[in-house]
Amino acid sequence: MRRVYLDNSATTPIDPRVVEAMLPYLTEKFGNASSVHFYGQEARVALDRARREVAALINARPNELVFLSGGTEANNLAIRGIADAAVEHGRHIITSQIEHSAVRGVCDALEKRGWEVTRLPVYSDGIVRLEDVRAALRPDTVLITVMLANNEIGTIQPVAEIGALVREERERGRKYLWLHTDAVQAAGRMPVDVETLGCDLLSLSAHKLHAPKGAGALYVRRSVRLTPQSIGGHQERERRAGTESVPLLVAFGKAAALAREELSERIEHLTRLRDQFELGVEARVADIVFNGDRGRRLPHLSNISFRFIEGEGLLINLDMQGVAVSTGSACSSGSLEPSPVIRAIGRDDELARGSIRFSLGKDTTAEDIAYVLEVLPRAVENLRRLSPLYAKVSSSRLQVSS
Amino acid sequence: MPYSETFKDHLAHPRNGGELPDADASAELTNPACGDRLRLTLRIRDGRITAARFLAYGCPPTLACGSALTEMLEGIATGEAARITRQQLTKFLDGLPARKSHAAALAIETLHEALRTIESPPDSER
Repeated sequence: MRRVYLDNSATTPIDPRVVEAMLPYLTEKFGNASSVHFYGQEARVALDRARREVAALINARPNELVFLSGGTEANNLAIRGIADAAVEHGRHIITSQIEHSAVRGVCDALEKRGWEVTRLPVYSDGIVRLEDVRAALRPDTVLITVMLANNEIGTIQPVAEIGALVREERERGRKYLWLHTDAVQAAGRMPVDVETLGCDLLSLSAHKLHAPKGAGALYVRRSVRLTPQSIGGHQERERRAGTESVPLLVAFGKAAALAREELSERIEHLTRLRDQFELGVEARVADIVFNGDRGRRLPHLSNISFRFIEGEGLLINLDMQGVAVSTGSACSSGSLEPSPVIRAIGRDDELARGSIRFSLGKDTTAEDIAYVLEVLPRAVENLRRLSPLYAKVSSSRLQVSS
Repeated sequence: MPYSETFKDHLAHPRNGGELPDADASAELTNPACGDRLRLTLRIRDGRITAARFLAYGCPPTLACGSALTEMLEGIATGEAARITRQQLTKFLDGLPARKSHAAALAIETLHEALRTIESPPDSER
């Protein structure tokens, strides 16, 4: 049975070139980068190179990067770090309704501690409006955190415009307002440039870029003061204590370098296959809706709601045929609420529960897509045949046509 | 996936999917918490269930419970049907993940509701 992995937004296969780059650091080059001796220095050199490679991916200076364990930790450090440092200047945060759970979680926690959080809507296209950001700004706002691209529907947010707004505010004398963006899904799938974006903080995750899980980075613009969240060590220029995972960070560096070199090819490849996929689904399956703006979005992602059926059922049906995807249905997330992102774009519960995210990768082939287009319509049909919702609609359609 | 082989078999090859025209007993219930829905239709002759069909919308356990329940119901007396428990249904599927027991509950409740719609009272077990 053919296996097709279409869940690259959840995680990505590790590129063999990345494995090769990290192997020596799992074997003979095992030093602690803080050690003064030869072993330590060898590790230090590797870490510095990885830092330069990751920084180059986002046009940052190497010393503006804090290496840590992943996107979640980066989001925690960014938001809590600013909140703790800026609390005397204000306690208001602006964010969006479609952030990743790490950003949502930290904002919710701050709210419980007396912070005020404005969660901007995204409208039916899944994109935040600049006017809403402007309208939400208050004298006591200290942080705006809006993701660069959404993980469920792939829509790209106007972060550069928000960055320009923040710069305007600073020119008008505002001193305590910062912009953070979660670029975990965006990096490696679109150009990401901290100067163009005008952000003060930016989160990155290695395992979304064909490197192993357990590494990430937070970009922190040179003037920005953060309160460290992991303390008790001098690593990362006192911003994040803990012995650095050299193998994982070397892998991250290599993956970032490859992402930068291959960015245009990857974008072209992903866009082409994703668009072919969507055309194919439209031609073969009725009663579907596409979620999120189909223009302003990442090139690899397609989020589709299949009417009358539930997402986890479709997911498992596809899994049994070798195709791996993910769903916005509540059942699989363990909560009772279907995807807040799909709801935020105005879809009702049934469409939210029937949503599937297909996320392609650089290794996805045209044959993979052809295979999925073969099995998907059958899987949908099998579930619709069992659905009381579909039975009702079918019988009323028959009545109308007769 | 955290499901038994029997469970997966019911998903891959659901038994008795569909609807009986002119059913002798029928019910459709929705779990208000998560929106799962099950429709059961039964044909009854001489106090026995001679055919059972299900339609289901919702997470995989809902479908699997519908399929398994209709398999358990074929040929049995309505009195016996009324006594099938969630535990028996779950066992028939070789287990359900802990937080999915609502699917078995929905199936049994739908069954009871369907049995209530029979015009004559269910035969008692001999």
